Amino acid sequence: MFTESWLSVGPSLDECIKCNICTSYCPVSAVTDRFPGPKYAGPQAQRFRENGQVQTPDDSVDYCSGCRVCNEVCPTGVKIAEMNARARAQIASDKGIPIRNRLLGRNELLGKVGSIAPSLANFGLHNPASRVLAEKVVGIAREAPLPRWSRDGTFGAWMKRTANRRLKSEKKVVYFHGCATMYYEPYIGRAAVAVLEHNGYEVIVPSQNCCGLPMLSNGEFGAARHYHENNIRKLGDYVDAGYDIVGTSTSCTLTLKEEAPDLLDMHEGGAHELKMAVWDIFEWLRERLELGELSIDFARLDMVLPYHAPCQGRAHRVGKPALQIMALIPELDVRESRARCCGIAGTYGYKVEKYQIAMDVGEELISYVREQGARVEMTACDSETCRWQLEHGSGHPSRHPIEILAAAYGLYDLEHRLLI
Amino acid sequence: MTVDLLVIGAGLSGLMAAVSAANHGLRVKVIAKGMGALHWSAGTVDVLGYLPERASEPVDAPLARLSQLATTRPDHPYVRLGSKMLDTALQRFADLCNDLELPYAGSSRSGENLSLPSAIGAARPVYFAPSAQLSGDLSRTEPMLIVGFSGLRDFYPTLIAENLSKLGHSARAAFLPIQLISDRHDFNTIQLARALDNEKCVQRLAAGLRQVLESGERVGLPAILGLENHTAALAYLQKQVNAPIFEIPTLPPSVPGIRLTTALRRYLEQKGVRVEIGMEAIDFSVRQSPIPNPQSLTSVSTATSARPLEHRARHILLASGGLLGGGFDSDANGRVWETIFDLPLTTPQVRSDWFRPKFLDPAGQPVFQGGIAVNRHFQPVSDSGQPLFDNLWVCGGALAGTDPIRERSLEGVAISTAIAASQQIFSVPTQTT
Repeated sequence: MFTESWLSVGPSLDECIKCNICTSYCPVSAVTDRFPGPKYAGPQAQRFRENGQVQTPDDSVDYCSGCRVCNEVCPTGVKIAEMNARARAQIASDKGIPIRNRLLGRNELLGKVGSIAPSLANFGLHNPASRVLAEKVVGIAREAPLPRWSRDGTFGAWMKRTANRRLKSEKKVVYFHGCATMYYEPYIGRAAVAVLEHNGYEVIVPSQNCCGLPMLSNGEFGAARHYHENNIRKLGDYVDAGYDIVGTSTSCTLTLKEEAPDLLDMHEGGAHELKMAVWDIFEWLRERLELGELSIDFARLDMVLPYHAPCQGRAHRVGKPALQIMALIPELDVRESRARCCGIAGTYGYKVEKYQIAMDVGEELISYVREQGARVEMTACDSETCRWQLEHGSGHPSRHPIEILAAAYGLYDLEHRLLI
Repeated sequence: MTVDLLVIGAGLSGLMAAVSAANHGLRVKVIAKGMGALHWSAGTVDVLGYLPERASEPVDAPLARLSQLATTRPDHPYVRLGSKMLDTALQRFADLCNDLELPYAGSSRSGENLSLPSAIGAARPVYFAPSAQLSGDLSRTEPMLIVGFSGLRDFYPTLIAENLSKLGHSARAAFLPIQLISDRHDFNTIQLARALDNEKCVQRLAAGLRQVLESGERVGLPAILGLENHTAALAYLQKQVNAPIFEIPTLPPSVPGIRLTTALRRYLEQKGVRVEIGMEAIDFSVRQSPIPNPQSLTSVSTATSARPLEHRARHILLASGGLLGGGFDSDANGRVWETIFDLPLTTPQVRSDWFRPKFLDPAGQPVFQGGIAVNRHFQPVSDSGQPLFDNLWVCGGALAGTDPIRERSLEGVAISTAIAASQQIFSVPTQTT
């Protein structure tokens, strides 16, 4: 039996006035019958899901992608996405977790193992035969945009290698890189370090764990709790010392701030202090800008750049800080997407039964990119899995806004993803 | 960055105020907790459908009846504005909607209310309706064919036709298979509207309609004729069917309301106004000053995933609505409060005073008639009539003196007070800060 209390999300249930605004904007129920919509799977079904109930929640809630668009548009503040996440956890607790979902939840472990021999791992995962096998045996869609392990070492290895070249400064900031930057896209971390150092900050990268979001999404709350406890412990000294912790993955930072504490009912023992120390990197850079501390010596970047603020970024409710800062770069024509979701929603679109749903959801964004014309050479998005989906759907490379910013500072080659 | 005007609320009132201020050259930002109440509305502009205490007799011409309104509701915003200002504001809304290619129009007898069929086939007094609803005017004599779709939960053609017949109108119902529009098992009006953005889908619907339509009839459909390509879909369908077509608003979510919200938001985006949804205002700051009253607001803070986010502004316009819109909250003891600034309300604060003994009392229910008391500049005032802040303004459903659902004045109040309040704001001399 699922034992987490419903405390932090339960009372919001009574705020639901059944207006159906959530259902009007839900990108998943717009394309499939498998998900009846946030109102039905969320607050309505929730009435039958109190602790101690006999019935396991209806499987349709597993088709909620967790994008949180429902929370964004709800006029009365119902925590619909959290209700659905908890219902999935209850299903997992009652029925067990499929091996596929356990695998997808283990970003960090997969990252570590693959990084031992990345070329071999990439070949092993990405050759067509193994993709078919992975689909048949485990249920990971063969076309899904899985990442490749970095072939020039992890981000951690780079930090170690370049330790004597790193800026030392009175001003210090802690960087939370997340699993994707560590093992698959170390260049995002290098760009972030370059931007932070350019602004006079010494970057501290303490030992850290996966934020736990993939596990929370797949209903593995026990494992997620373990990871969150580790992060509280490993980052605690820096929090106590008053350092800000910035992250380039909008979903990792959202998990540290809100998802993990709310879903796991972890508000004490350092969880709240960690929450209040964590920033999305652009949220933090915008704060520097407001204080007049951000270096704005941008070179011109003459390009058309469709930008999608990811769902997990919008869920921070801090606006679109990356958009605000990129708007300061001369000649850069940033085009803001109005699309609700790219569809991938973390690990959702990797699953064979959900791949097509994810592609159908993403069509809104992909067609938006297409409409921006022939001058488009790349797109931008703050979230890793969304970038991979954008690349998969549009055929254009996708970059993190921090790479765009590093390039505008003249520190970064956008095409080859290398520091200059 | 400090904006000139921060609008709180993204319903009709907030969006119209933002349009008005942006067109006057102010730097404007709109924040809202969620999507606005337009999503629940019929998408029409109701100005005054019924006078207080005269529930059985619809108003013929709203602007000509303001003096009667003044006798029972002296504090009504319309009474304060006068018919000329109300007329100007409504006309500005209609002009704007024309520019947005979502035209609205009123009765051919200028200044009179239209009478349109509601979602249950009652007659609804409406001042302006979107083009798509105009052919439903019950003063017209062509018989009506109300067409629904098997399995559509939120639209009941038989009920509508029966009720319209009881009112003396010629109406009958027909059903078409939903497969003409969608192959979904489960669907709502929004999904159907998106499907009808596609011309092929409109063609299939037209073919279906021709099967059931008799000569001389006009066709009433649920309001699903396209979201993005609505105007084209409507024109194309009329041409294909060769009969007047009209939409009847369905139960929420409201496609006509979403069309209007989207059109206004896009207009604002083009003007450089950000409309931030999902931002709940939770706190505010005031400028330290040796003179205590009135105070000056410096910012409003919204909830985020961690620390509050501060929005600095020279002026703040509260357009967050009343109990329905979410601007007010209440508890079980009957206390009602405005959620951000805790402004004084005229609403009864004891539960037993909320309602009269009769549910449908012609005098209405006190709890829905209360709101924020303002001065003639639309600034909230204390019990003694003094402004509480020198840069806070209120418009729309939060205002005292109206009973918008009963009067059927929701949109008229929203539009006219939004424009009036924004004019007050930009007539304030620019301060050097």
